[in-house]
Parts: sequence; structure tokens; C-alpha cells
Amino acid sequence: MRRGLISRSPVELPDAVLEARLDRVRAAMAKAELDALAIYTNNTRTAGVSWLTGFVPYWSEALLVVPGRGATFLVAALSFRVKPWIERVSRVGAVLHAPRIGLKAGQEIAAARADAAVGVVDLDGLPAGITDDLREGGPGLALRDASDWFAPLRSKADPAEIALAMHAAAIAHRALGAASPDTLGAMVAAVEREARHRGAEEIYVAVAADLERDARFVRIEGAARRGETFALRATVAYKGSWVRLVRTICDPALAEKANAQLAAAVAGLPHSHGFSEFRSWLVEGCRLVQPLDPMIGSRVDGSLAPSLGAVVSVRGALSIDGQTVLVGAPALIGAPGEAASLLVDPHFG
Amino acid sequence: MQKTLAEERRQRLAAAMREAGIAHMLLYGNAWQGDYLRYAAAFGILEGHGIALVSAEGEVDLFLDSASDAERAECEAPGTRVHFAADIARAVGARLDRVANEHLGAAPRRFMPGWLADKTRHFKLDDATALVDRLLMHKTPGEVEAMRRAAQIADDGYGEFLRVVRAGRRQFEIVADIEAYLRRIGCPDNFMIIGSGGKDVLGMTPPSERRIATGDLVTTELTPAVEGYFAQVCRTLVVGKANDAQRRAFAVFVEALEAGIAAVGPGVRAADVAKAENDVFRKYGLGEYTTSQWTRVRGHGMGLFADSKPHILEDVDTVLEPGMTLIVHPNTYHPEVGYIVLGDAVLVTDRGVEVLCKTPRELFEITA
Repeated sequence: MRRGLISRSPVELPDAVLEARLDRVRAAMAKAELDALAIYTNNTRTAGVSWLTGFVPYWSEALLVVPGRGATFLVAALSFRVKPWIERVSRVGAVLHAPRIGLKAGQEIAAARADAAVGVVDLDGLPAGITDDLREGGPGLALRDASDWFAPLRSKADPAEIALAMHAAAIAHRALGAASPDTLGAMVAAVEREARHRGAEEIYVAVAADLERDARFVRIEGAARRGETFALRATVAYKGSWVRLVRTICDPALAEKANAQLAAAVAGLPHSHGFSEFRSWLVEGCRLVQPLDPMIGSRVDGSLAPSLGAVVSVRGALSIDGQTVLVGAPALIGAPGEAASLLVDPHFG
Repeated sequence: MQKTLAEERRQRLAAAMREAGIAHMLLYGNAWQGDYLRYAAAFGILEGHGIALVSAEGEVDLFLDSASDAERAECEAPGTRVHFAADIARAVGARLDRVANEHLGAAPRRFMPGWLADKTRHFKLDDATALVDRLLMHKTPGEVEAMRRAAQIADDGYGEFLRVVRAGRRQFEIVADIEAYLRRIGCPDNFMIIGSGGKDVLGMTPPSERRIATGDLVTTELTPAVEGYFAQVCRTLVVGKANDAQRRAFAVFVEALEAGIAAVGPGVRAADVAKAENDVFRKYGLGEYTTSQWTRVRGHGMGLFADSKPHILEDVDTVLEPGMTLIVHPNTYHPEVGYIVLGDAVLVTDRGVEVLCKTPRELFEITA
């Protein structure tokens, strides 16, 4: 569950930004001849609903319904007592509460038009119980997958999203910078404390404890020993925007060289040619509802390359002078003719 | 320990599948509801969603759609074959096509990606949620031991909570300090909500920017996990000296908690525990505050999920049996002072009940 700060800022996410996103969605809905759009959220699949409303469920699940005309409504499985909190942290026309959110959403949509055409983002991935309930609530509704047209809208970052991602990146950088050499538990604690104190909505800290033995990131439980060179990865969410940042504790000259290679490779995105020197690499970003979907990389088939203008998180493993160095940072993919760029300098002095 | 618990769970699941005639079982999980997946795959999922495909021989294939979590699972999930697949529904579907003529179960079926559960597939998934629920509810001695250690950390964590709550601090800063404390002692996960204030506070939520003030009641559910097993403690403190109304109100919650715990035992229904708690409120004319308008549940099961079955409510007939672990918490709104929480993790034993939490049941007072 989310234990960080979930709050709404009219400065960072003004009504006009959310309204403009809704306008773009409604225009696409009209083109697709849809009467309503439904987007599911839980605390893993936040990125569709938070993008349109700012709402992030700390627990449980909800369905946002965007009618072609009229106010949006959110059907939440969270209890009625949480309604004031939802209204405080998000911008939706109405909040309805029901244990079977699909049933309630289906009934509400069908009440406006029994045979409505309803787009569903990630219909194939929608929990089966929600799909069944939507059909029970509105037996005449025609459910259609809306992923193909929603993805290009969602994945291109607008200025507000870029600003939030940069803020998340700054939190991650300060957090990883707070880890001075100590036991791994103490370092993870320092990173997490710093990020949460700076308003992170969520922080996951993973550790590659001994790069001479294994370059994979894990979560630490109990005591763990660290090697001479090791790496920390912070995955930070800030007001719905997610980024990853990596810090390798090694010879500073090696880290600097590796970060320069990362920046050079990133500049070529969405093309992958810059990563030929990497032992492994991965680009993650938001496409539909998951904040950090794998897009391209050494283990990914490349069918979901990031779109131009998208915020992504990039990471990789390099061998430099016989040593493993892990690197990673968020980046912004440029418009046509523009090079992509890191959103934060992954250097730690 | 992790390996032992994981193997033990797999053996129990495989035995239950064989008894039910299920050849292959799908277990779904995400960071919200991860217990079914973790039961078989011994993996604490954080990102994306995952499906474990378990055979009646106890072999486990874990499909994850997050490349980062797949990398983690390769290290953290012993004895499990890990598969990264951007579209796990179709990846799992391709595997199920090979065994489509066998009896296939899914738990919880309602969470499975709709594509997998669609009736037009070559395979058919029967809902086996109840089978897995029984396993999740009835803990083995090894699982109980993990719960005991988690309860100890919950007690220690509440001790830290008492140290870090101060007037002027914001809720999210307090939670940040508790999370850092838990990470420092090697505890990777926690469920925690918080409330602060007076009669204006109707419940608990994730932490906000609200600053703690003198006279506030500060409530929290603290639920750390050990090897994936969550144990909870619920307590309320006052910033400064408690007033008479706060003391009187809190006494009702102590009486209700004691009544609820006294009711716990083998053969008792969850409803009986809820009724024992609620009768205390009714005795003091506070019966209205035991309804769903003011409170969600009067306790719940605990284990690989922080809020598992059975829910302690007057309409839940689940019979308690030895090995079940619960939190009994008569948490609700009190019209004179606001929202109060008080709850202890307990174990149902052969003879009755064992309280796992050791934190005193008192209305703590901290320096303003």
C-alpha cells in the first residue's frame, strides 16, 4: 500500500491541466464513437486514473468513468468514510462507493444509455470480476478495448507531467545522496526516510549488494552483507509520476564514465543503437495504466517502443575496466529531430 | 526459513489441489492483493501483476509483466521458474493451451486478467479461491512463528511511533520515520494508516500534510511484515494530557477489545467476536457507532495479506479454528472525542486465544 504523501496541489496540477487532458480524451472518444470510457485503478495500476484526476488509491480499487458529455465519476471500493479524503486528493465530478465497482459503474452508464458503447482501457487486463460485473450492471453495454487510442494520449508527457517527473527525479537524487556508507539496512533506511520526508508518494529501494557477484537488484529483508562495489536503486512516485534512479558505489571515475555512456545512449532514444556497449539495458515508461511498463531493452522484444515526448526511466549494466557499474535515470524522449535527455544528472559527488 | 516456509506452503497447496482433483492452479497477485501469489511463488510482488502457475506436483512457474520485478524474483523466489512477459495473460494462456483438457483452477478468479478468464478460451478456469482461502487462513507452526516475529516488530514499531510523534510534525514526516525505522531493522514491508485531530476525524487514511497539534488524538494501524506475514497493532495516543472525555471514551474501547479477545476460540464464529465487541458499545448507548456508517470491520484475518479473511463482522459465519491469526480491533468513531483505535493481533489456539501483541492497552500521553 502507499504510505507516502498523497495530496493534491493546484500549483503542480492545476484544474486546467486535468481539464485539457480530459478534452483530449473526449475528442478521441468522439472519434471512436464511444458514449463512455472506463479506466480501472488499484495501487499498482494507477497511471490512467491519476493522469485524469490526480486520484491514487492507497489501497483497494476504483473505476473512473468519463462520459462523452457530463461530469466524470469515480466508483470506489473504499468505504464511504474515505470519501472526504478522495475528494481532497483528487478532482472528479462525483465519488460513488460500492463493493462491486464494476456492477455500480455498469448500472450508472446503462442508466444514461442502456446500449452505450463503452471504451475500456486495457480491457484484456481488466480483472475478470470487474468485466463480469460491468456486463451484469449493463447487459446492453458494448464493451470495446480503448487501449490503442488511449496509449498515444497517455504516453506523451505534457509540461505538468514533465515537471512532476523532474520533481520525482530530484527527490530520488536527494534520497540516494543521503545514503552514506553504512550497513545496507541503514543505507536503505536513509534513502527511504529522505524520499518520504520530501513528499514522495511511494519509494521502493532495491539493492545490488555485491556487484562482483551479482548485478541484479533485490529488496533487502533482514541483514545483508555488501561487497566493495554495490548499487542502490530508488523507484520514486510523486503525485502520480514514477521514475527510477540508480547509484553505484564504486570508483567515482568509473561511475562518471558510466553515466556519460548512459547519457549518450539515452540521446539516441527511441532508437536502441546507443546501448550496444551495455551488458543489459531497459527502458520503462507509462503506456496505459501501469506507471513503469517495460518498453524496449535487452530482454524486451521492442514492440512497445516509447513514443516521442514520453517520460521514461532508463537503466543498464556496463563493464568498465573489468568492473560492473549499474546506471539509470529518468529521461525525456524528444520530439522529431530532437535528442532525448536525462531529467536529472545521475552523478553523486 | 524462507525456503522452508515456501516449500511447506507449496506442499500443502499441491496436496489440496490433488485432493480437489485440480491439475494446475493459477494464482494472481499484485502489490495490493499479493497473498495468493506469494503463497505458492514465495515472492512479494511490488510492480505490475503476476500469475503463478502451479502443478499438482508442486512445480511453480511465475509470470511477471514488470521486468524489474522479474529480475528481483529470479533472486528472491527460490524454487520458482520466473518468466518475464509483457503480456502475461497471453503468455500464461499459451501454457494453459497445452493442458486445456485438464482440470484448471484459479484464485482469486475475479482478479485474473479478463482475457484469461474469457469463456472463448480453449481452457476453462474454475474458481478455486475458497480452496486457497482455507490454506491462507490456517497457519502452520512455521507461519505462526513468522507472525509472532511480525507482532514483535509491530510492538517495537509502535514504541518508535511514540518517540517520533510530536506537536508540529506533519503526518507524513512521522510515517517517514517509522518506515525508515522498519527498513533499518530489516523489515521490508508495512501497512500503515494514520489519523490525527479531534471530533472532525472520522477515520484513518494515508498520511497527509496535517500537523500534529496539542490535544490531538493520534491513531495508527501499524502492520509490519516478516517473510510476507503481516501482524498489526492499533493504538491511540494523546498529545499532552488526556482529558476526562478522552479517558472515558477510551475505556469503552478497552472493554470492547477485551470482550472481543475473550470471545475468540476454536469453534467460535467470527460473528460472535464482533458481537462481543459491539455489545460493549451498545451497553454504553454507542451501538450506532458499530455500523458501517462509522466503521468498516471489527477486526480481520492476518497473514500474507494485511486484511484477509475472515472479516470480524456480525454477519460473518466463518468458524475460527486453531492456527488462525486475527486482529481484533473495535476501531470506530466516538461522538465525544473522535476516532479511536485499539487492537491486538491474536492467534486462535486449541484452548482459546493467545495475544501476540505486547504493547500496553493504554491511552498513551506524549509530551506536547
